[in-house]
Amino acid sequence: MSGSKPDILWSPHHPDRYVICDSELGLYRIGPVGSAEAKAGTLPLSEETAATLLAINSDTPYMKCVAWYPKHEPECLLAVGQANGRVVLTSLGQSHNSACKELVGKEFVPKHARQCNTLAWNPVDSNLLAAGLDKHRADFSVLIWDISSKLSPETSVAAEKIRLSSVDLDSSTVVTKPLYELGQNDACLSLCWLLRDPKLLLAGMHRNLAIFDLRNTSQKTFVNTKAIQGVTVDPHFHDRVASFFEGQVAIWDLRKFEKPVLTLTEQPKPLTKVGWCGKLTKGHSNNDALIYYFVFWPCKCSFKMINVVVSLLCACIMLHGLHTVTIPMQVSHMKQCAEDMELKLQGNVQSVVYSGIKNIVKTTSGTTETRRCWSGSDRQTDVPRYHSEERCLALRLCGWISRGTDTDVENFLRSLEQEHEWERAAAVALFNLDIRRAIQILNKGAMAEKGDLNLNVVAMALSGYTDEKSSLWREMCSSLRLQLKNPYLCIMFAFLTSEPGAYDGVLYESSVAVRDRVAFACMFLNDAQLPRYIDRLTLEMKEAGNLEGILLTGLTKDGVDLMESYVDRTGDVQTASFCMLKVPRQITQKSALHAAVGFTFMFTGSYQPTFVFVLWQVFVSCNFCGKSISYSCSTIPHQGRGFSQYGVSGSPTKSKVTSCPGCRKPLPRCALCLMNMGTPVSNCQGTGKSDEKVDLTRENKLAQFNNWFTWCHNCRHGGHAGHMLSWFRDHTECPVSACTCKCMQLDTTGNLVPSDSS
Amino acid sequence: MNNMAFFPVSLTLLLISYFSFFFSFFLCLLSCFRCKFFSLTETPENYTVVLDEEGFKELRPSEHLQVESAIWLPLNVVSNGSASSSSQAVGVTKIAKSVIAPLAQQHVSVFMLSTYQTDFILVKEKDLSVVVSTLEEEFNIYKEEGGESVPVHCQDVSNGLHKNGREAIQPTVHPVLIPKNQFCVMSLDPDTLPSIATTLIDVLFYSSSPKEDPQPSPSQDCVKFFSFSLIDGYISLVMDTEAQRQFPADLLFTSSSGELWRMVRIGGQPLGFDECGIVAQISQPLADSDISAYYISTFSFDHALVPEEDIVSVTDMLQHQRNEPATS
Repeated sequence: MSGSKPDILWSPHHPDRYVICDSELGLYRIGPVGSAEAKAGTLPLSEETAATLLAINSDTPYMKCVAWYPKHEPECLLAVGQANGRVVLTSLGQSHNSACKELVGKEFVPKHARQCNTLAWNPVDSNLLAAGLDKHRADFSVLIWDISSKLSPETSVAAEKIRLSSVDLDSSTVVTKPLYELGQNDACLSLCWLLRDPKLLLAGMHRNLAIFDLRNTSQKTFVNTKAIQGVTVDPHFHDRVASFFEGQVAIWDLRKFEKPVLTLTEQPKPLTKVGWCGKLTKGHSNNDALIYYFVFWPCKCSFKMINVVVSLLCACIMLHGLHTVTIPMQVSHMKQCAEDMELKLQGNVQSVVYSGIKNIVKTTSGTTETRRCWSGSDRQTDVPRYHSEERCLALRLCGWISRGTDTDVENFLRSLEQEHEWERAAAVALFNLDIRRAIQILNKGAMAEKGDLNLNVVAMALSGYTDEKSSLWREMCSSLRLQLKNPYLCIMFAFLTSEPGAYDGVLYESSVAVRDRVAFACMFLNDAQLPRYIDRLTLEMKEAGNLEGILLTGLTKDGVDLMESYVDRTGDVQTASFCMLKVPRQITQKSALHAAVGFTFMFTGSYQPTFVFVLWQVFVSCNFCGKSISYSCSTIPHQGRGFSQYGVSGSPTKSKVTSCPGCRKPLPRCALCLMNMGTPVSNCQGTGKSDEKVDLTRENKLAQFNNWFTWCHNCRHGGHAGHMLSWFRDHTECPVSACTCKCMQLDTTGNLVPSDSS
Repeated sequence: MNNMAFFPVSLTLLLISYFSFFFSFFLCLLSCFRCKFFSLTETPENYTVVLDEEGFKELRPSEHLQVESAIWLPLNVVSNGSASSSSQAVGVTKIAKSVIAPLAQQHVSVFMLSTYQTDFILVKEKDLSVVVSTLEEEFNIYKEEGGESVPVHCQDVSNGLHKNGREAIQPTVHPVLIPKNQFCVMSLDPDTLPSIATTLIDVLFYSSSPKEDPQPSPSQDCVKFFSFSLIDGYISLVMDTEAQRQFPADLLFTSSSGELWRMVRIGGQPLGFDECGIVAQISQPLADSDISAYYISTFSFDHALVPEEDIVSVTDMLQHQRNEPATS
C-alpha cells in the first residue's frame, strides 16, 4: 500500500519508446547503440541497443501510478495518479496539439483524499479514465472520470463547503464530479477495462475481483481471491485475464469466473507486474499464450529487469498457434506410415513410430541400386537410384508416395498440379526421371490462369537436355540456373547438370522444402552419404528451430530439442505443446512430460533453475482449497501415473490419502460406506477365498477400480466406484437420501451391460 | 448479504498514565512497522493504546502500564458491494442496526474504533461464539488467516457457553459531554509519515501534558483529544483544528469539502469493559435520523464524532434521551 513502485510503460503506438516513472517521468527512445545521436546521456540496454532520454517531467510530485493515453492523438498524454488521490493529466515532450494543451494540467479530485493505486484508460471511449483508490469509510474507491467534461461550474463548487482546501480550488482546472462512482467502502488496487465490452471494468478490490458494468452500476460480478494485483486482460483472447498476488499468478476465464483456470505458483520474489505478450514475432498475432512477469528494482539510474516467460498450459490448447494445424497432422501422418511399416518390420526391435527419418535411415539395410532409363526414352541414365524399405517409408513420410505398395508419384503430382505448384510438380517429376512429364507440367502451368509464361521457356530449356558432359547446354544451364528465381526450377537444372552423387546444388538449396530435399536425398544418395546428410540437416533445423525438421527428428529427444529452439525463437508455445501432447510415453518419458506439461518451463529453467513445475491438465480438485488432491504426490516426478497417485491403488500397504494434501481438509465421503474417499474399499463383495486362483489378474484390476473415486456430474454425489456400481445394479436413484437424481440413467454407458457378466 | 471479516490479529488494550515511558516505544513503532494494528488515543486523562501481539512483545512491562486482561478481536464489515446503499450516512451509523444493536441485545461488550478508512468493532475473544451466532444470519463471517479468508461458522467456534450468561440489565444512560472544539478526520500517505513524525510527537506529548489537568471539569470548553492509528499500513488521524494547524497542510488527506466534526464524550465515570449497549444507545438514535458518525472508544470513555452541522440535533436528541428515563 505504501511506497511508490517504479514502473515502465511502453508507448501504445511507438514500439521503440517507453516511459519510466519513478519520482519523475522520463521518456526514452530505443535505438541502435553508437548511432549518430549517441550522447553521454544514453543508457545502454544491450550490446546493440541503447535508450536515449527524450524528455523528462517532474511536475507531478507524490506520483503513485501512471497511464498512457491509448489513442494516437494527443500522443504523449499521460494520466498521473497521486498519493492524495488526485489524478493529473500531463504530457511528455512538446505537443502542438491544441486538444492536448487544453487537457494538460487538468486535475480530478476525489471527495476524500487517499492514495490513488491504479489508473486505466478506456480503450474505446478514450475520454473515460478509471482511477482506483484506497479505502475510505464513506467513499467509493473506483471513480470514473470524463476527461472531456466541462470544468465544474463555479456555482456548484461554491455550494460545497470549502474550508480546508479552498486554496486548491482556485485554479479553474479542477474536476470534482466523477462520471461514475463504484465500490463503496472498499479499496481498489488494480483496474483494467475488458476488451469484450468497453462498458465493463474489471477491478482488483481488497479481497476480491469485481466486474463492474457501467450500464447498470448496481450490478457486479465478483469472486473472492487473494490475487487482486495487476489485473490485465489478454489482448488477443478477451475472456482471459491475469492477476497476481506476491509470487503467484492466477489466470482467469471470464466465462467461468468462479476459480482461476490456472495458478502459477511460487516465484521466489514477489512480482511487481504481470503482462501478456502482445506480439513476439512479426506477422503472427496469435501466439500470445505467454505471460511475462518481472521483478525489478531501481539500480542507480537504470532499471534492471528479470524477465520470466511462462507458458500457459491449459489455455494454450484453446488457441491455434502458428502451426497447430499443420504440424500435428504431419505427426499423425508419421504415425500412420510408421505403423504400416512396423507390420512389415516385425523382427525389428526398435519402434519406428514417431521416430523420424533420421532414425529410419540409420537402420537402412538391403539397399538396392538401379539405373533406370529416362521414361519415354531408351537412353540409359548414369544416375543411380537407391531403394530400400526404409527409404520407401521415408518417401512416404515426405508425402511423395502414398500408402500401400504403390511407389508411383503420379498421385502426388496431380495433387500438386491442383494446387498450382507447377514448379514443384515439375521438379518432382524430373527427379523421378520423367522429363516428358515435367515439361508437360510446365506447359500446363504456363497456360493456366495467371500462369507464368516463362514456364514455357523453362520447358524449352529442359527439353534440350543432353547428357553429354561438355555440351554448351550443360555449360549455360549450370551458370544461368542461378538467375532463376524459383528454387524448384533452380534445383531442376542443378540436378541435370551435376555429377552423379554430387547434388549439393539440390540438397543445400535452403528455400526448397525440407521434405522435398529429404525425399530427393533418399532417392539419390548412397548409404554412406544419406545418414551424413540427414544428420547435418537435422542439426541445421535444430539450430534454426525450424519446425519442418520435425520430419527428420520425429518426436524423440532431438524433436524436443528442436521444439525448444523453436519456442526460444518464436515463443509459440501452443504448437510445441500441442505436438508434445502426442509424444508416446515410452519413448521420451522425461522430456515429453515436461513438454506436454508446459513446454517453456524447460527453457525458463535457464533463468530460474529452482523452478520445478508439474501440472496435470485434468485433476480432482479439493472442495475447500481447489488444489489438486494429487498435489503433493506430483512433486515427486516420474512415479507411476494414473490413479495410483491418489493413494487408492488397491494396495492397502500404500499410504492412504484421506485428506486434501493442500489444506488438510478431509476428502468427501463415499455415499454408501460413509468412509472418506481414499480409504480402500472393504471387501464388500463377499467373494469367497476358495476361488482365489480364478482369474486373479482380472480380480486385481477390478479391485483397483473399486477404489476409484466416482461421482455424478449432475448431483455431484458419489463414492467408491465399486460401491456405486453395486448400488446402481438394483437402484436407479442416487444413494444419497433425499436426492432424486437418476444418476445412472444420465450416463449413456451406464445402461450397457458388460459382455462377460452373467 | 454483506461480509464481515476478522482481522488476523488479537489485540491488547493498554492504559498509559506516564507518557515519557511510552515515548520511546512510540518512536520504535514509527521506525519499524512490525505491528500490524496500532492505535493510540490521547485524552485529557491518559493515553489508550490498542495493539497486536507483535507490538505488545516490544513493550517492556512497567508500573505505568495498565493492561486490560481480555484479548480482543477486531471485526470489520467488508462490503461485497452487491448492495450499494443510497444512504449517505456512514460509519457506525451504517452498521448500527445490523451489528451493534444485535450485539448489545446479546450482551456482548464492544470496543469501537473508527478510522479514516473503516470501522473496527473489537469484541472479546471469549465472546466470539456468541458474536458469530448472532451475526451469522446477516453476514458471511470470515476469519483472515495469512491473507486467505476462511469462512467461520457457528459450530466451529461453539466451544463453551453459547449464550452470554449475564443478567439482562437495563443499560444505564450515561451522561454526555459536548466540547466546543472542532475535529478533523484525516489520513496520511505512510511514506510521508517520517516527515511529520516530529510534529506528531510534539502534538501528542508536549503541547499540553495530560498531567497538568488530570480531572478536567465538565464546564471546560475544549477537551484535548488526539487519535493516531496505523492499521495494516493505513494511517488515520483525528485531531482538533488547533492541532491540525501545526501540520503541513498539503500532506494530510481529508475530504475536499473539508468537513468538520464535533465530539460527544460518553460517560461521567470510567466506563469499564464489561458494560454493553453503550455504543448502541448512541448509534441507534443517530441511525434513526440518518446522521453519520465516527466512534472511538478509549480506556475510560467513549467518544463519538458527528458532523458539525448536525450537532444541534444530536444535542437535542441526547438531551431528550437523558431526560426520558428520568421521567419514566
